[in-house]
Amino acid sequence: MNPFDLRGPEFLVFYIGLSVLVIIGIFLLRWLFESANIPRLELSDPLLIAYLRGGHTEAMRVSAVSLIDRGLLICSGTRLQTAAHARPESVRRPIEKAMLEKFHYEGDVTSMFEDAKLQSTCYEYEETLKRVRLLPDDTITQVRQFIFAGAILILGGVGLIKLAIAFSRGRTNVGFLIILSIVAIVIAAKLSFPRLTRSGKEMLASVKNLYSGLKDRASFLQPGGATVEPMMLAAVFGVSALAGDGFAFTKKLFPRAKASSSSSCASSCGSSCGSSCGGGCGGGCGGCGS
Amino acid sequence: MAVEVNHTKVPVDMFGLGWRPQLALGILSNLERIDVVEVIADEFFNARRSERRALRTLAAQVPVTLHGVSLGLASSVKVDKSRLERTARLCEEVRPLSWSEHLAFVRGGGVEIGHLAAPPRCDETIEGTLNNLSLARTIVGVLPQLENVATLIDPPLSRYDEASWISEIISGSKSDLLLDLHNLHANAVNFGFDPVEFISQIPSGRVRAIHLAGGRLVGRGNVHRILDDHLHDVPDPVYALLEEVGARTDPGLTVILERDGHFPSIESLLGQLDLAREALGRGRARRAITSRREVAA
Repeated sequence: MNPFDLRGPEFLVFYIGLSVLVIIGIFLLRWLFESANIPRLELSDPLLIAYLRGGHTEAMRVSAVSLIDRGLLICSGTRLQTAAHARPESVRRPIEKAMLEKFHYEGDVTSMFEDAKLQSTCYEYEETLKRVRLLPDDTITQVRQFIFAGAILILGGVGLIKLAIAFSRGRTNVGFLIILSIVAIVIAAKLSFPRLTRSGKEMLASVKNLYSGLKDRASFLQPGGATVEPMMLAAVFGVSALAGDGFAFTKKLFPRAKASSSSSCASSCGSSCGSSCGGGCGGGCGGCGS
Repeated sequence: MAVEVNHTKVPVDMFGLGWRPQLALGILSNLERIDVVEVIADEFFNARRSERRALRTLAAQVPVTLHGVSLGLASSVKVDKSRLERTARLCEEVRPLSWSEHLAFVRGGGVEIGHLAAPPRCDETIEGTLNNLSLARTIVGVLPQLENVATLIDPPLSRYDEASWISEIISGSKSDLLLDLHNLHANAVNFGFDPVEFISQIPSGRVRAIHLAGGRLVGRGNVHRILDDHLHDVPDPVYALLEEVGARTDPGLTVILERDGHFPSIESLLGQLDLAREALGRGRARRAITSRREVAA
């Protein structure tokens, strides 16, 4: 059976099926090419984790929250200003220095996302993540382009051939096919070029899993910069994961920041006791003799 | 199913913590002071793929040992084959430095007792343990290190003392010993024996790993026992025992500090690891002096 001989509606069904196959193919090829050994990574660096999760905007959000929590940035609604006593040279991370410099004069928090100098401070995170292939490096990008080119060739080619046949037979009702082709190609593009590689996505899920205990204790984390735990919580799960009155400012500051969906396993790998300890986690095993 | 555990020769002593989610940030932030992390294997037996991947991610950051708590090897009851198979799969995935289990029983007559119970120290349990270890080696591919357990009651029907019973099992198998020094301290206090004498009785050359922990006194009236609850700091006598072990063993020990709750700051835990390093170092120094004297003589 020649699919190009199918009538309009039947061909559209065929084309949808073909698109699904192409999309599955994109997934499989990316799955094959983007797998890598689990890298050794600085998992205790909140900004690296935030960058992995959401790029420079998330790294900036986490930095801003951390600086506010430490009293170095003053927050008033969505306006930020560097505290009078804060000195950029007193902080260690380049992104924090740049942020304190930027908000020397009061400004809206959203302005930081477009700030080229602030963005440039995230370059090292990007390079680190590319180096271990959690973000697409040049090779992965080329493979993705190759896969996408193949998808265009199939989806666009089939669509164009059918269009040519339709026109040659004097048919002009090809609107649905054109729309369908465009939609299929857009979806293929989206699926061909996600921000994270397969390894990156899995690493992020693993990090959330490893830090599941932090999320469980979110409401007990104390503000004031005494520990890096709130910053890490925000880095891994998003600033909206910060709970309690001490972090209420985050709701006004980033009203649209969403908590990262968690694939954590607080219950299953969060138990501090082995199964033979017979209940009694949280308060300890109570003498299981282990 | 045979798996190959990563048996890299470890020529130096390694110090680490038991992995607990509450300690995740503290551990991952201090890997320059933590050589190894011990993970409870049983928590991953029924884990989802993503959870096991997280464990592999952890293992990519720091060497991992797996510690089992539910096999019940020290029993005349045959060990559950499916648990061994799950242990094997986990070892295959994680490639730990080693895996370990307790010299305890945890079930009998189809009843899970929910506790690492000290079995009667008799020929039957020695034979049962050796049979179970043989099956463990067949399925997992490598023998577990065996850990002595703490107990509040002297196991009835025992015909061996603890040191002799452990020595029989160790010499009858090729398993190494994970010596839990707080369990030893607790049993020594609870039943009035000399823990240093105990260390001198067991085959010290087979001690490959150490557990440190803390506990508390329980009991009423004149009867007091130390409960190994893992909720308190390591007491001084345990460090003293570690020094004794250092004086009798070669380098290459894996020393794990276990803490299951009432978590102090990570600095406090790292401080206890430092004390352990010092104690083992003192023992090593004593051993070096003794060796030199023997050579000179």
